[in-house]
Amino acid sequence: MSSLSGKVKALFTEIKTHWNTPAEGKYVPYKEYKDVVFAVGSNYAGSKVLEYIGFFSACYLIMHHYKLPYLTFSVISILNKPLDYISALMWWFVCDNLGFLPKKTERKFYFVYVLMMLFGISTILFDYSQLFNQTSSFITYLNGLEGMNATACFKTFGTHFLYTGWVGARNIFWRKKLLPKFGRYKYSLYCDVVPKCIMVILIGWLPVYEIPDVATRVWVANLMFATYNVFGFANNLETCTRSISPNLQERIYVRSYPVKISHFFNTIVGIVMPAIIGTLRYEWADINVYKYVIPITFIILAAATMIFAGRIKERIPQPPVEKKVQIKFWDGMFGVLHNKYLLINTIKDLIDSLGNGMLPFVTILYFYTFRLSGLPYSLLVILISFAGTPPDLLSPYFLKRFSYKQIMIFYQLSRAVGNGLIAAAMWFCGDNLNLCGTICVVVLFFMEMTKTVPTTAGHDMNVRIGDYQMYLSGERLESFAGVFGWFTGPITSFVGLIIPLMLLKYGFNSNWDVLFIDASRRSIIVVPIIVDVIGFLLMTIPYLFWDYDSKKQNMVMEVLKRRAEVTEKKAEEAGEAVSGGYLG
Amino acid sequence: MSKKEKKIQVEEPIHLDIPDDEIWTYQVEGLAAPHINKPYKHYGLKKVIFALVIIVAVSLSVYFSVRTVQKDTYEYEQTQTGYELSKFSNTGYITELNIDYVSRVEYDKENPDVETNFNIIKDETKKVTSVGAYALNCDEKVKVINIGAEVTHVDPKAFYSCWALRQIEVDENNPNYCDVDGVLFNKDKTEIICRPCDHDTYLAEKYGHAKYDENGFRIEPTEEDANYEQYVKDVLTYVVPSSVETVGELCFNYANMKNVYVPEGLKTIETLGFFEIPLLENVYSYKTDTEVTDTHFTTEEELGEVYVSLPEGLEYIGSDAFSYNQAMTYVFIPESVTHIGHHAFWDTVYKEGDELKGVSKINIAVSEESFDSNVKTGDNWRPQYDYLLFKKNIDVVYDSKRIEN
Repeated sequence: MSSLSGKVKALFTEIKTHWNTPAEGKYVPYKEYKDVVFAVGSNYAGSKVLEYIGFFSACYLIMHHYKLPYLTFSVISILNKPLDYISALMWWFVCDNLGFLPKKTERKFYFVYVLMMLFGISTILFDYSQLFNQTSSFITYLNGLEGMNATACFKTFGTHFLYTGWVGARNIFWRKKLLPKFGRYKYSLYCDVVPKCIMVILIGWLPVYEIPDVATRVWVANLMFATYNVFGFANNLETCTRSISPNLQERIYVRSYPVKISHFFNTIVGIVMPAIIGTLRYEWADINVYKYVIPITFIILAAATMIFAGRIKERIPQPPVEKKVQIKFWDGMFGVLHNKYLLINTIKDLIDSLGNGMLPFVTILYFYTFRLSGLPYSLLVILISFAGTPPDLLSPYFLKRFSYKQIMIFYQLSRAVGNGLIAAAMWFCGDNLNLCGTICVVVLFFMEMTKTVPTTAGHDMNVRIGDYQMYLSGERLESFAGVFGWFTGPITSFVGLIIPLMLLKYGFNSNWDVLFIDASRRSIIVVPIIVDVIGFLLMTIPYLFWDYDSKKQNMVMEVLKRRAEVTEKKAEEAGEAVSGGYLG
Repeated sequence: MSKKEKKIQVEEPIHLDIPDDEIWTYQVEGLAAPHINKPYKHYGLKKVIFALVIIVAVSLSVYFSVRTVQKDTYEYEQTQTGYELSKFSNTGYITELNIDYVSRVEYDKENPDVETNFNIIKDETKKVTSVGAYALNCDEKVKVINIGAEVTHVDPKAFYSCWALRQIEVDENNPNYCDVDGVLFNKDKTEIICRPCDHDTYLAEKYGHAKYDENGFRIEPTEEDANYEQYVKDVLTYVVPSSVETVGELCFNYANMKNVYVPEGLKTIETLGFFEIPLLENVYSYKTDTEVTDTHFTTEEELGEVYVSLPEGLEYIGSDAFSYNQAMTYVFIPESVTHIGHHAFWDTVYKEGDELKGVSKINIAVSEESFDSNVKTGDNWRPQYDYLLFKKNIDVVYDSKRIEN
């Protein structure tokens, strides 16, 4: 007992002593731990609220009000694909140079982006399909696409140009303006938060879902959601905390304690918001969810995020922004292709695409098996998500005790077993709703329990991959890493069509009520889950080749620190003004 | 050192002595060497290979993806007896669908009007004999379906959520099916199979109640309109013929209907039989000695003895049979019922302030003991309402007497 009280006392003294200044060998004062709790808490909860809004079929707004055909989302993704390839090139180039481009290049980029925007706007104002013969095979093909017609296809195509140009131009402008001051991870919050709030309000209030013609509804909704997506509100501050310290152990402590505690904000929102929604007459199908509940919740959390955002620092050992290594396009490409660990991740992601196009099983379990709403829904969601919290507090232990390779292989195997059990429950007792639902909830509980440590490991693996890339190429090349997506994209986009087509055959289109039919629900759920199980088993293979251990990582960090130190010293000797660097 | 301690990796502090001029080239043991601002070997060749691989991969992907999402308007599967219509994907302009022979769309290149520039070409050597589940799924254009003489099987889910569908017409020589004023029945009319979602528009036009706005959308009359009462009789009321014993799966789902009269002889209401009919206020039963074949309501006297709620003799109520019908207020379960599926009356009750609206209680003819021993009930067959942030089942009144009409 006395030893426990002694430990508590020592902890208290330690926190008090290093409240404002970190201990030797550490970088983060405890005051910042407190700020992390509030900042990440509101940012994470706010970003989670936004998960209720999106241009995908499982969004309740789309599900209950827009009622768009399921396959239409795949069609739109195919329409957008070619431009994605071209725009990605420019995007990576800008991002991995942190927005600092040679003047001439910058002007060229702006020119291309503005042209894209003008073309996009013109497709929205004019119907380009009229330029073609209306009986040509091209137009009749477009007219035959699920939920689309030729007019809608052209407008959707143009919307993507508008979106790409707009996002691209903003990306250069705001990065250059805000990144030196706010760092690479949280600058976007400052320029996006106000327009994002406005769009969240508009999404609920614009009655686009009342447009009777499905093809028109599709392209107008696509335009509205594209505009909404121009402005981000991701979980930036948590990303920032992953680079909060060059000390690996300290990173994991921050991730395991203040960050984990901050997630309770989301837990509270996760209880209160569905409970409020449960009191509405049509519950999740009530448009007031999107007119009032989501906008009000989001705006409060966004405001809190902005209050605390300034107090979190990123501490990646790096040369000053002005002195950083300039990445040429092809060097960026080949730089990431030489990163063995990115390749492992890519192969894993490629296999993971086997499950693309699946309906969200948990949503179906809650709404179509259990028919939950209000507080019971909140409590079940919280119960399952809470399952991961206790093991996560022990993450530092597990991460020391087991190698990342072991943890990730265990993760994939546990997903395979869990999903296999769920598929069996759905297949053999799908019409005994309470029994089937209970089995699924128990399995989900255990799956969640065994998920958080691998998730922490996964995040840390990604940070380490970034550190390794910085060692290899002088920059993290996080955007150029998307080049792997160029190779896998063609495969994943094709594979991703298999499940939607399968679901269409089993009766799933734009009307989710089909899931009330027991036999249809069984087929719609079970078959894709089995495909996913196969994917999880196969995903263990790439991890067998992971050999990047803590020793290698620490040596890489030493190299990075040394580079920062030497570069800054030289800049100072030359009398140059520098900013944004960090020595570690 | 314990076994456990041994297993935990101990990270020793590492210090690397890197000279200033080697910071960009220093290679960590076991890792690849840094490659910063240096040309790659075979730079040009690598670029070409890279570009070629990407171009080929993207082209193949787009080609196969485009092929995959491209669907023929009509898709058939050959069966032992003929062809099954397995999938109909509307071109966007087909409003009348004939299911008789294997068909395809052919475009008239001279005609620029997209609404009329196509012809449906039939291959009369290939007869369609069945229609598969979800052959039409969430179609928003087809208004009329004509079922040919040779079609011997129509899956109950064949015309799922066809929002614009007003009529299903069946060839009079069809051996298994018939239609009564645009509603699909089996041949001897013992089962009503599908009342189209937009059948009310057909009835509104037939009885002269249809009015449209400048955009072509039908204006629904309101209670304030002078002829609203007649509109309710002609359009929003449906009489199920006296021969019917089964209401098929999904039969009336999403109907625009205020009253329905079902015969005392009805034994089965299948899964989702009366699913989500927001206007449905009254289910009446009628007992008659004369055959009732007209589905148009005129007066209750013509139907014989009429009483409220489910008919005596009803045995089976399928899952979700009456779900989401919040305008209903009274449910009486007769003694004959032996099965009530899960969620049969789900979400038929809601709270307005402190008051329960909709089906606030369920009346059962028999005693609790008899009900428990004779009736098989599925999970949550009773509706639930919000109660102290949770959900509570509505009350059941056993040994209840049916209220007077």
